[in-house]
Amino acid sequence: MKVTYSWLKDFVDLKIAPVQLAEKLTMAGLEVVSLEEAGKDYIFEIEITSNRPDWLSVLGIAREVGAICGLKLKTVNLKETKIKVKDRLPVKISVSDKKDCPFYSARVICDVKVGPSPDWLKQRLESLGCRSVNNIVDITNYILFETGQPLHAFDLDTLNQKEINVRRGRADEKIITIDGQQKILDPEILVIADKDKPVAIAGIMGGKESEVTFKTRNILLESAVFNPILVRRGKQKLGLQSESAYRFERGVDLETAKTASLAAQELILKLASGKPCAYKSAGALKPSNRVINLDLVYVNKILGLAIPAVKIKQILSRLGLGVKAKTKNILAVKIPGFRQDIKLPIDLVEELARIYGYAKIPQSVPAIRPSRNISDKSDFTGLIKNILSGLGLREVITYSLVDRALLSKSGINTDRNLLEILNPLSKEQEVLRPALLPSLIRCLAHNLDQQQENIKIFEIADVFSAEAGSVREEPCLAIALCGINSFLTKQGLVKEELTLLHLKGMLEALFNRLGARSFNFIRQEERKINIILGNQEAGFMLDLSRQALDTFDIKNRQVILAQLSLEKLSGHINLGKKFSNIPKFPAITRDISFVIKNEVSVSELLSAIEAKGAPLLRQARVTDYYQGKQIPQGFKGLTVSCIYRLDERTLTEEEVNPLHDQVCSLLKERFEITLR
Amino acid sequence: MDINLIQTQIESDLSAVTTAVALEEVRVKYLGRKGLLAELTGAIPGLPVEQRGAFGKEVNALKNKLLNLIAEKEKVLKNSGSVLKKENLDLGMPGIAQELGSIHPITQIIDEICAIFTRMGFSIVRGPEIETEYNNFTGLNIPLEHPSRDAFDTFYLKNYSKFLLRSHTSPVQVRAMKAHKPPLAIVVPGRVYRPDAVDASHLFMFHQIEGFLVDENIKFSDLKGILELFAKSVFGQEIKMRFRPHFFPFTEPSAEVDISCIICKGKGCSVCGRKGWLEILGAGMIHPNVFKQVGYNPEKYTGFAFGMGVERIAMLKYGINDIRLFFENDLRFLKQF
Repeated sequence: MKVTYSWLKDFVDLKIAPVQLAEKLTMAGLEVVSLEEAGKDYIFEIEITSNRPDWLSVLGIAREVGAICGLKLKTVNLKETKIKVKDRLPVKISVSDKKDCPFYSARVICDVKVGPSPDWLKQRLESLGCRSVNNIVDITNYILFETGQPLHAFDLDTLNQKEINVRRGRADEKIITIDGQQKILDPEILVIADKDKPVAIAGIMGGKESEVTFKTRNILLESAVFNPILVRRGKQKLGLQSESAYRFERGVDLETAKTASLAAQELILKLASGKPCAYKSAGALKPSNRVINLDLVYVNKILGLAIPAVKIKQILSRLGLGVKAKTKNILAVKIPGFRQDIKLPIDLVEELARIYGYAKIPQSVPAIRPSRNISDKSDFTGLIKNILSGLGLREVITYSLVDRALLSKSGINTDRNLLEILNPLSKEQEVLRPALLPSLIRCLAHNLDQQQENIKIFEIADVFSAEAGSVREEPCLAIALCGINSFLTKQGLVKEELTLLHLKGMLEALFNRLGARSFNFIRQEERKINIILGNQEAGFMLDLSRQALDTFDIKNRQVILAQLSLEKLSGHINLGKKFSNIPKFPAITRDISFVIKNEVSVSELLSAIEAKGAPLLRQARVTDYYQGKQIPQGFKGLTVSCIYRLDERTLTEEEVNPLHDQVCSLLKERFEITLR
Repeated sequence: MDINLIQTQIESDLSAVTTAVALEEVRVKYLGRKGLLAELTGAIPGLPVEQRGAFGKEVNALKNKLLNLIAEKEKVLKNSGSVLKKENLDLGMPGIAQELGSIHPITQIIDEICAIFTRMGFSIVRGPEIETEYNNFTGLNIPLEHPSRDAFDTFYLKNYSKFLLRSHTSPVQVRAMKAHKPPLAIVVPGRVYRPDAVDASHLFMFHQIEGFLVDENIKFSDLKGILELFAKSVFGQEIKMRFRPHFFPFTEPSAEVDISCIICKGKGCSVCGRKGWLEILGAGMIHPNVFKQVGYNPEKYTGFAFGMGVERIAMLKYGINDIRLFFENDLRFLKQF
């Protein structure tokens, strides 16, 4: 909403400079977003919140200025002019449903001289960003901006039978609006019709056919109150926006509807001559009688600030509210029709705080009583993020909304169980993603394009699916690795391509740190390995196929991925710790280095060793492996470290040696190893 | 054996020592398991009984003297740096360590802000991103067909008319209050969605942090106190703060909260649009209608709520000028945090 300094001065005797006024308005909730100098005047552009339709007028803002600056509001009380008997003209007004239109009034003014507006009027409208059309239309707009009440002037002679009927549109009806567009109407849209056709879309826009032009002689001036929801639906449906609709959907005041109509007539008679020939209205004007009792103790209780009672009364009356003391601490506050937003005592508290000044409210620190058992104990995301970043992974955040194409590129079935967005702005917002990996692959591809060599990323976010007629949202972890891991050692730079074993190592570190002890990795397909937690599949690791890499334009790279359900993981997390004694007696360690066929399962081999060596053998683990020149094709070299130990005394070599020999024989016989 | 002779030999051996390794050799030669002193001690039983005492004492004295000499030599070697010299270390060479990963800057800001509030006694609660119309709107006193909804453009789901993507984190207020009785002190971080056209400062997905406190006798002055503590922790003790009246359907009185511009210190610059102030959050006293929706008695309980955009705070704090950078996840961006 724009308003000029000079226009405000019509209503309040402003003494402060525009800049200071702008500051005061902003601090009272009318945020001045720009203040422009225009000739001798100043234009304020104010952001009006949706609860205050009364501020969509110069008068409403002036009333606020009066309250803020302690100034009296100057208003004129107009009196209804009598219509001469010889001038009386019959017009018929009817409203089909009072709920759609609680009040409708029409004035007929005949013999008007339609012409250009005087300069002062043109200037005032233009400074508010409104184009001048002709004196009649300009006057309706002027009164709209001044009072907040939208008005509409029809060319009376275009209305069939000089009849007005406020009714719903009919299925086959059309109208060409004043902006020249044809709109198709229906029973959800409220229209103003004459005897046989719609002549305006109620509260939104007039029709081209009945508009006031330089040829118009007689006019019908409409001032009404329309159902805000109907106007809102109508404008959304028809894709129309207007100053009128903007005000009607926020709610206009019955009383103002009446006074604005009269003010417009006065101005028309003054600027376009003519004579009043009819005034008809339908619907009752019930003055607002709402009274809210305000307890002064309540004001203090909410704000933490005691505003003096005198000040309270002053602020409320300056805002146009009726104030009467009921008891020492209770005020009966009468709410005028233009303040439909005030419904409860708390609304009055806000008015007081606003005008008195939020800045005057002190600061205090409450005693916070913490809420027990409320925070989500199973939320381990923070811990998981820390562990993974410690392992060299970088957290990314990607969009939960994706395009279908991204999913199908990644081999995800897009026909079933997808949750689609009803109103996306673009293809990139078509669906809620059922998996994180496609977004991570895209992120990898982007970084490869930027010549990044070593990409290790993860994301924790919810994934979405449709399931049995309902929606499902589940937290997930996804990891993506690609590129060359290079690191310095004392011997120099070591470079290696990231592989499934790197990913496995990260997951093992994660599970161990989370106390999720029973995990396993089971190959499901050539490139896919299931992650098992307990006995349940909780996710998978994947070595992305050449074909999939091609669709993402990733060349000469291996991409390693993992996806894990955090819901399933959290059931296995155990952060409780229990201390076990540090061994008092030394262990004896025996390494076995051997060559073994590639097909032999290492985990099977290790468990066989542990079974054979128990109970003296405490642990068998792979401490080195090698594949290369000295090892024949189809084999790998392994070193397994066997740790023998007793809790109660030092083991002797004589005890360990025969046992270890048995372990070695077992390996030779069952696993066909060759010692190196 | 002549003890004096041995002692002279020890001294000459030690004077020739210049490295830690050589010193260790000397130590082993004399004090080792098969060293000279062990040999001397081993010879004691073979001596006539009357000589054993005196000889033993002499050997012990020698041993102590030797230990002292070696310790002294060690000190000398350490101070002269010759222990390091062997490595020939050039500190200009890169250090050896594993590269750390990183936490996304948005997560870092969320963690930082949540930590401030948890220190004050707030609990962190999360909520689903797919919400009901009721939790997102009606329960928060946002009427179905009213212009106040225009501020909350919302993504709806096809075939599931009951559901939408939450357009703010406030639905968690409704959830938490329906599930628990006061007192409540909660912060809620999370993703939110709005069909906004994408540009340098708007995206269709972003993050919010919601906070609310409900108890008997919670006042607007408490809101001011808590938010000032918060803003100073995040943006520094020197910032100024102001509360501007505003309208939100779920709070009354409502406020928008500005801090003095952290770039120009309030003088006016391009970041703050020459105003000197930066809006950082919306807040207010929880509307009695919201309490009625969740079954709290508004006569007994009062409370405040606030909400802020995480990206905006991250952009201000880190000097980032394009919101899209957060979700592009370029490693050259991520590595800076």
